[in-house]
Amino acid sequence: MLDVIARSAALVAGTLAVLTALGVAQPARSQTAADPTKEPVVIGVSGPLTGAYAQYGAQWQRGFDLALEQVNASGGVQGRPLRVQFEDSQSDPKQTVAIARKFVADSRIVAELGDFTSAASMAASPIYQNAGLVQFGFTNSHPDFTKTGDFIWSNALNQAEEMPVLADYAVSALGGKRIALLFINNDWGRTSKDLFTKAAKERGAEVVGAEGYLADEKDFRSALVRVRDTKPDGIALISYYADGAQITRQLREAGLSQPVVAAGSVYSPKFLELGGAAVEGVHTTTPFFPGDPRPEVQTFVSAYTAKHGIDPDAYSSRAYDALLLLATVIRQSGPDRKAIRDGLATVKDAPSVVYGTVRFDPQTRRVDKPFSTRLVVKNGAFALWQPGSTDAAKAAN
Amino acid sequence: MFPTSFGPWLDYTINGLVIGNIYALLAVGLALIFGVSHLINFAHGSVYMVGAYIGWLGITKLNLPLPVTFAAVAVGCGLLGAVIERVGLRPLRNAPRIAPLLATIGLSVVLDQSAQLLFSPDPRALPTQLPSWRIAIGGGSIGALDLLIAGVGIGSAALLYGFLRFTRLGWAVRATALDRDAAQQCGVDVDKVNRTVFAIASALGGVSGLLVGMYYNTIDPNMGFQAGLKGIVAQLIGGVGNVPGAIAGSLLLGLIESYGIALFGTSYRNLFAFVALILILVLRPNGLFAKARRLPPEPLTGTFIAPSRPLVLPGWLIGLLIVAALALPFAVQQPYLLQTLGNAWLYALLALSLTLVAGTVGQVSLGHAGLLAIGAYASALLALDAGIPVLLAVPLAGVIAAALGTALVFPAFRLRGHYVSIATLAVGEIVTLVILNWESLTRGPIGVTGVPPLSVAGTPLVSGQWVYWIPLVVLLVFAGVQTRLLSSHLGRTLRAIREDDVAARSYGVDLNRYKGLAFAVAGFVAGVGGALMAHFYSYINHETFPAPVSMLALTMVILGGLGNVAGAVLGAVVLVGLPELFRAAAEYRMLIYGVVLLLLIRFRPQGLLGTV
Amino acid sequence: MTTASTTSTPTSTPSASVAPLLSIAGLVRRFGGLTAVNGLSLSLADGELVSVIGPNGAGKTTLFNLITGLDTPDVGSVAFAGQDVTGFAAERLAGLGLARTFQHGRVFGNLSVLDNVLVGAHTRLRAVRPPLGLPLLGPLAELGLALLPPAAVRAEEERLRAEATEIIALFGDRLTPRLDKPAHSLSYANRRRVEIARALALKPRLLLLDEPTAGMNPTETAEMLEIIRGLKGRGLTILLIEHKLDLVMQLSDRVVVMDHGARIAEGLPSAVATDPAVIEAYLGHKAVGAANQDDAAAVVPTKRGIGE
Repeated sequence: MLDVIARSAALVAGTLAVLTALGVAQPARSQTAADPTKEPVVIGVSGPLTGAYAQYGAQWQRGFDLALEQVNASGGVQGRPLRVQFEDSQSDPKQTVAIARKFVADSRIVAELGDFTSAASMAASPIYQNAGLVQFGFTNSHPDFTKTGDFIWSNALNQAEEMPVLADYAVSALGGKRIALLFINNDWGRTSKDLFTKAAKERGAEVVGAEGYLADEKDFRSALVRVRDTKPDGIALISYYADGAQITRQLREAGLSQPVVAAGSVYSPKFLELGGAAVEGVHTTTPFFPGDPRPEVQTFVSAYTAKHGIDPDAYSSRAYDALLLLATVIRQSGPDRKAIRDGLATVKDAPSVVYGTVRFDPQTRRVDKPFSTRLVVKNGAFALWQPGSTDAAKAAN
Repeated sequence: MFPTSFGPWLDYTINGLVIGNIYALLAVGLALIFGVSHLINFAHGSVYMVGAYIGWLGITKLNLPLPVTFAAVAVGCGLLGAVIERVGLRPLRNAPRIAPLLATIGLSVVLDQSAQLLFSPDPRALPTQLPSWRIAIGGGSIGALDLLIAGVGIGSAALLYGFLRFTRLGWAVRATALDRDAAQQCGVDVDKVNRTVFAIASALGGVSGLLVGMYYNTIDPNMGFQAGLKGIVAQLIGGVGNVPGAIAGSLLLGLIESYGIALFGTSYRNLFAFVALILILVLRPNGLFAKARRLPPEPLTGTFIAPSRPLVLPGWLIGLLIVAALALPFAVQQPYLLQTLGNAWLYALLALSLTLVAGTVGQVSLGHAGLLAIGAYASALLALDAGIPVLLAVPLAGVIAAALGTALVFPAFRLRGHYVSIATLAVGEIVTLVILNWESLTRGPIGVTGVPPLSVAGTPLVSGQWVYWIPLVVLLVFAGVQTRLLSSHLGRTLRAIREDDVAARSYGVDLNRYKGLAFAVAGFVAGVGGALMAHFYSYINHETFPAPVSMLALTMVILGGLGNVAGAVLGAVVLVGLPELFRAAAEYRMLIYGVVLLLLIRFRPQGLLGTV
Repeated sequence: MTTASTTSTPTSTPSASVAPLLSIAGLVRRFGGLTAVNGLSLSLADGELVSVIGPNGAGKTTLFNLITGLDTPDVGSVAFAGQDVTGFAAERLAGLGLARTFQHGRVFGNLSVLDNVLVGAHTRLRAVRPPLGLPLLGPLAELGLALLPPAAVRAEEERLRAEATEIIALFGDRLTPRLDKPAHSLSYANRRRVEIARALALKPRLLLLDEPTAGMNPTETAEMLEIIRGLKGRGLTILLIEHKLDLVMQLSDRVVVMDHGARIAEGLPSAVATDPAVIEAYLGHKAVGAANQDDAAAVVPTKRGIGE
């Protein structure tokens, strides 16, 4: 309650401050000394801070804040401080192209991160490509995202890698033979659906039904009647955390007790919060897991929790990871636009919270072989899945 | 328990009724407001969201007992409703009828953005304190919350009925709904009536937000828009301003959606709902539960577009501005500025198109982004799949958008006023949903990648200057054409339709012919605009031209002045420019945008340059 | 029921041998439980001026709506110039030469006075609206001709403008100085004048005037009377709804009295004025003798009923 009051006050104060600032032209930019070796190295971020996707931008922001703090505490990059210039795009294509022009013309910016949706990110790609500024789409899984050219890179989970892993979990580990699929009907969900169906078939299972739903859907009861009537023995979700939680709640209410396997994007404390008791027993795979004993993961988790007071989720961990990766590349190759492009092609085994280590396939400009961990929701928390362990959902089946 | 062949349909029916039950909560409030003030209140969804957050504070932060929380939500949202009436409706009484509608859009931006800043954009859980027992029906089950929602829906409708029938204030509300002027002359305090209605409807809206939040165990600052849209659709199906009709319409909408899912699949849900809406609007323009046909009463004073005196820019000034705009890239080399203005020119094409149908002909379209989408997809697919050169594909896309757009809106030609707006909104949604679902043609959710850029002799025109110049030149040509059109006999004919379609018909103006002409011209202009965007963006999908783009276009048109060609361009420059100008304000910029919008509507409701 | 009824009709018609320009037979229109027009028959010969009078709610305006195609009758037929036009759309009837004004005035508020009158001439546009008879090409040709007007189109527009200015000059300097003013800025009386000018621009064969002098003061009413008299003098056929009996008595060849949707009397003005049934229905207990004063309208309640 107190924090709400405090934020109300901040809101009023902020609005006033902004309105005053608007009268005073651009914020101070050239006030710092003109010593080029001390000037900050700036990475532009184009992402949604307002609008329908604002929650994801806020998660990015938390990841970036932590990464910046750590990079600059350890001396920055090549003796210069690292900075992020986060421009709110609302994931609106007409704004991302304007932001792209802005970044491209700003010689201090050495690389760009984002945007969130494919429509917004890929509209700006030609501008980055033509200007020779790396666009690093760390959540852009669209199969054609990097195809615009050699300056467009992504370390987003490659569905061609992720879906077989998920299918493996559902079919080989949990023994599903007739799987019903619910997928969010966007480029990511649609691509994943095809890849999952293929992978499941290869493993001897059949996808008996696939229901694509719209992004802002909240009611799945009737979709679940269709799912039920396909008589599945397992249910797979290609969902984000909010819709994934919603579907799980409603399918349990509808009396469907089959094991549920969900794509790694449900990995978020919000999935547990919004899903409540219903998501108990849901399986997922994730490259990043706070319980992972690797030291970089443990450092990240404890620092993140200390800074923000909440557990990290998939998007903030990816944002953190992306910025650290770029910092690594800049340290190795120098704060130059082209050098960063070349550096991404050659960087080997860069440390990564999400992937362990990262290397890129220079041809596809995507990450080579990410790994993943099998998780299950247990006692209201994500836990490592033990084969053969008592599985509430499975037992009920 | 039930035979299997019958089982699923029973389940679909139950599920349809359950979700319809939820739509009804919002539809009742919207119907009440429309009944009295003839306003489609787009802020209603935001009130619903505020109710959910007040409830969240009460339940999770203050640990209030549930009845106290409900009371707090009702009071808080009731007050908010009174404020909305005071800010959004009352000062605009003599403004164009569309101005209050726009004010409610502005208010909804302000409310949603404030909530986002106060509570963060993350969704939050809203645990229910109700018992968790469930009654199995068929293959599914309903719980305590379903019954509570139904109870609140029916109970509030019953209470409203009693209030309207048996209290003095209720009598005043009904009198105002029938004839505002007459009621005022009989001594009814119309302001008080409006305030009361807004307060009651908003209290109900807030309680709905809390209930639905508990139902899904999720609340977020953006939850209102989609919910409000469904409420509007539901009450239109039942007949606007008709409270029992709104409940019936909601249940029907729930059933339509549920059967749509059963027959075609989950991603056809909204497509089915919007097609049903169009069919109902066309077959029963006053809703399913309206009374028999009757001529609208003759207007005593005023018409849909309030009188205004447009600001006429002198010819030399326009010439000077055009020359300055064309020469700008020689003086300023900032690609960011050029891109932003280039975007403004592209959106000015959309605004130009909309100002013709919404301003000149008075057919306020809320689905204009659909024309952009048709143009964009047509041009992209012609260039990629049919191998047609881009320079030819763009005008062809204009023709396709003109033909397809006009054909899609044609059934709505017989509608008037707000019904046209809702029908076009539905058409816009249908376009998006068809793009999403017609995979073999449009590539579905994957979108169209690698759309080739505009190019001349193999040289792609992608630099900042071309992104500025190409849309500017196209815009100047179309603005010139439109100005010419407005000064011909078509100008007065189209405006006559807007001013009084009955009188226009009586003088031999065939409404379908001229509405069709206007939509064809508008479709061509918007289609070319969309096509240019596709070639600049290189990638388009169903989310490239979402519903808020239509709202933005309408805001541009009203801001500039309805029907005003220069106004449309000015509106586009201001509304594309403002968010960029406020960029330094980061998360606060949309809030500022909302406030600026409200101030503009408040102090210049006829638009900056005035209605032509 | 009536005395001065149908028998007197033929004698008062100037050219009885010719088929009537307008003939209405057994018209019925119901709104829910209310019968607004109840089996009404009426005919109008070329050049005749017939007035329809009756108390508020008698169904006069509904009758106009039925004749002009804004509403369709439940029973009965309307024939215009020998053609059965029952159920024709308003725009089609306008094309046949039917023009009307509206009870409360329906000018196009944001259009200038001149443009208002020019809309009246819409059906007479020929050069810019070539009668191709094809569903798509016609409108497209019109669009093209409007955007790139050839000489014929420009000449037509000029001619209509000149003509409109001439019509407007009929009203003296009431409207001429306000040619470019938006109609909403005009006085109530001037808006009525604009409506009549707009109707005249159609070059109607039949003109229907719905209370042309409502809201006018005695001087203005007298002026309007002269204008209508002038129109009649030029041979225009007019159907008039009017409450000011003095004006009705002076102008009409024939008067039809309506009450509760039905005709209760018809005949020469003098005959109708003394018909006891009319006095009973229309004027209550007031004597008709006062009708030759300008304030005769004062007898009639000014607040209009909604169902009218």
